[in-house]
Amino acid sequence: MRVALFVTCLADLMRPNVAFAALKLLKLAGCTVEVPETQTCCGQPAYNSGDRATALTLARKVIDEFSGYEYVVLPSGSCAGMIRAHYEELCKDDPALLVKAKKLAASTYELTDFLVNVAKLESVPGDFAGSITYHDSCSGLRELGIKQQPRQLLGKMGQVEIKEMSEAETCCGFGGTFSLKFGDISSKLADNKCENACATGADAIVGGDLGCLLNIEGRLRRKGDRKTQVLHVAEVLAGKLD
Amino acid sequence: MSSRDLILGRIRASIGRSGPADTSAVAAHLQASPRGPASQGDWRNSHEGVLQRFTERATALSSTVERVASWAEVPAAAAAYLISRQLPTRAVCWPTLADQPWAAAGLAVEARPSRGDDLVGITSTFCAVADTGTLMLLSGADTPAATSLLPETHIAVVPVERVVPLMEDGFALLRSEKGEAPRATNFVSGPSRTADIEQTVTLGAHGPYRVHLILVG
Amino acid sequence: MEIHSNDFKARAREALADQELQKALKLVQVKFVPNRAAAAAEYGDFEALRDAGRDIRNRALENLDLWLERFEQEATRRGAQVHWAKDAAEANAIIVDIAHKNGVKKVVKSKSMVSEECGLNDALEAAGVTPIETDLGEYILQINDHEPPSHIVAPVIHKTREQITELFHAKHHKPRQTDIGALCREAREILRPHFLSADMGISGANFLVAETGSTVIVTNEGNGRLCTTVPRIHVALTGIEKVVPTLEDLSVLLRLLPRSATGQAITNYVSMNTGVAGSGDSDGPEQFHIVLLDNGRSRVLGSELKEMLRCIRCGACMNHCPVYQAVGGHAYGWVYPGPMGSVLTPSYAGMEHAHELPHTATGCGQCSAVCPVRIPLPELMRKEREMQVDAGLRPWTERLALKLWGWSASQPWLYGLGTAIAARFLKGLGGEEKLIHRLPLAGGWTDGRDFPAPAGKTFRELYRAKKELH
Ligand code: SF4
Repeated sequence: MRVALFVTCLADLMRPNVAFAALKLLKLAGCTVEVPETQTCCGQPAYNSGDRATALTLARKVIDEFSGYEYVVLPSGSCAGMIRAHYEELCKDDPALLVKAKKLAASTYELTDFLVNVAKLESVPGDFAGSITYHDSCSGLRELGIKQQPRQLLGKMGQVEIKEMSEAETCCGFGGTFSLKFGDISSKLADNKCENACATGADAIVGGDLGCLLNIEGRLRRKGDRKTQVLHVAEVLAGKLD
Repeated sequence: MSSRDLILGRIRASIGRSGPADTSAVAAHLQASPRGPASQGDWRNSHEGVLQRFTERATALSSTVERVASWAEVPAAAAAYLISRQLPTRAVCWPTLADQPWAAAGLAVEARPSRGDDLVGITSTFCAVADTGTLMLLSGADTPAATSLLPETHIAVVPVERVVPLMEDGFALLRSEKGEAPRATNFVSGPSRTADIEQTVTLGAHGPYRVHLILVG
Repeated sequence: MEIHSNDFKARAREALADQELQKALKLVQVKFVPNRAAAAAEYGDFEALRDAGRDIRNRALENLDLWLERFEQEATRRGAQVHWAKDAAEANAIIVDIAHKNGVKKVVKSKSMVSEECGLNDALEAAGVTPIETDLGEYILQINDHEPPSHIVAPVIHKTREQITELFHAKHHKPRQTDIGALCREAREILRPHFLSADMGISGANFLVAETGSTVIVTNEGNGRLCTTVPRIHVALTGIEKVVPTLEDLSVLLRLLPRSATGQAITNYVSMNTGVAGSGDSDGPEQFHIVLLDNGRSRVLGSELKEMLRCIRCGACMNHCPVYQAVGGHAYGWVYPGPMGSVLTPSYAGMEHAHELPHTATGCGQCSAVCPVRIPLPELMRKEREMQVDAGLRPWTERLALKLWGWSASQPWLYGLGTAIAARFLKGLGGEEKLIHRLPLAGGWTDGRDFPAPAGKTFRELYRAKKELH
């Protein structure tokens, strides 16, 4: 399977290890992985802000860069959701582009979804030992149906115990630019999320979207919690990176 | 231009209608009146199942339900209900129920419209919907709407053959038996209630505090 | 109703700091959310029902003119009078005129969000007619100096029982009642004489049935039935979009609405009113006026937001909205709060009065996941943001930032350089702790949260270095 890894702009800038972890997992699953060098961002911030022209410029670029691959995989539910659920709408006025956008959408997957349902990864190298609680990020959950996939993969790790939090499916308050525009509401929602997560007593809060994880971690640390780890599911699954 | 024409004109512009409308789709839909999805369940397979569903649902909505074999037993059942709850035995009823032997059962029942200070109202029903445990009441000179509304206690007599599975079945009976809807078609599902304060359900908001259903047959 | 939607930020901040409100709002999460989930599960294939609901509402809107004409024809045939109001002022004028012509002094009202939209009570009072709200929640608001509702289904969801106890004590001059049942009884006893003495009843309409020319209201308390049964005149005020074709279509929507709203399989009362009292009827109004309000709806029908007109006002979108749950309905500043309000308010009241609202959501999608008629609310809010950008309504700083960022993101080389610098800069700010406590230009974030610092090199750099090594 020839797979292109779309690193996502947040992982590129903030947490390169998430991308390296995704790379490792895809290779373990038997994929030939390429990382198109000119990739930047899927255009989601512009699209969500109503700047359709900018979003379309970036979508064109992504479609050019990623159309030649059998599969495109992203370690993010919201960026994968952007391509799978929104490119079609964004490209609707350009028939030639629309055809390509639909094709790309059909070959695009969120990482855990791909590992479980396409690559059918058998065993997972991660060596995390302890309890975790999983935050279901909104776009992944509601646009792509990502719910059991990460839990299935984590379940293959011997020493991980999943402690479900209440309201696991409720938004953490990130919402892209919402977290900047309405900081106090966003913090309040992050607070609810942290309370529910910490009430499980888990050692780590794990999720599949960096935006949410940075938001949750930022609130946890501000409240003085230095102990609870906040990790991307790819990091947990991949274990040690060389 | 009248506001009517203005609004209809704007609507037509918005839906992109130019020239005379094709009314065939509208006419066809009215003609066919297709039914949409409804709750499925084994209860719909037999009339006893339908009655059981009705009883369960009505009870869940805080109505009380009993069943008697014939109309002759209705006055005594109503009296027993009122006496057992220490409720008044004076009542108003629909004119259609004027001939029932209420007095013999110890009830003082007047067949007249309710005035607002009556404490007990006795009605029958056009039909009842089992799916939700609901009465379907039609207003009329002999079946005033206020009797089931103003008194604090509402007793309704429900002939078992008038219990139908779904709301759509009630509407079908309305069409076939009455031709058109009366001034008020009221679906009533138990005592009035409110949850406006702290989302806590409290019975007896503006309508009856209690609804007692007497199934007959 | 006066609009304060542009004060969303300040109002939301106050709401977050209001302990009583926060206590009251907990109930949204504790009651509405699980009740709706249980009702949907108990029903069975609720998703198929939602599909049917969407299709029924679409069918009505596709031929809205024809269905309204049919409605008018049937309603008129049965003796009702149908009035058309292009905006709120005209709706108010029509109703005031009906009151004046008939010597009406007192009106009993059942809950109607369209009447709130129009500011009908103020118009009636100005014309010397006394409106009395009879829905318990609306009554509480009215005696509390005409406070606006904060929820379309549960108008006093923002109030605690203690606050209502104090309010009743102060306004009714009666001993304090702390029991909810006793509070309800007190209100009932005060309102009952008003029903019997009012000259006119005003209701909304949850649905208009084109087939029969009927208005339908869905209530639990019975006040709607009283308002439409006892007074000699009944006025139903509602939006033109509320029409549904047939009684069968109505039946489906009546399965969806209460389950989505409160988790009930049916509300206590579903009252379908058709025409005026017949000869020999002992109750029912002699006059039945139906006022059909446009107020922006016909314009929305032709816009990219037209799916919004499917709305059946169940309130599920606000109940499930994390932002609504956090700040309550008053923050939104007009009649319609939460996601549906964020779409409707700019459309009905004008974008310039509500430019914040399309941004007041995280895009989590919980609203559209529960909407009984499958309105893609986050998508519609996004479209409103596009309209704002197209109309040049966003601040120039935001527009410039997006353009600059978009431009650099389409120049991979430049973007790589920029992010490499940013990664180092931010790492530096994070220091030993790897946490940034204060980030210039991002105070919205760092006022309430730390910003976890990046690792210091971008993936792009590290990956290239690795490849060169091999
Ligand atoms: S938008 Fe949907 S969920 Fe919200 S009130 Fe309307 S029908 Fe209900």
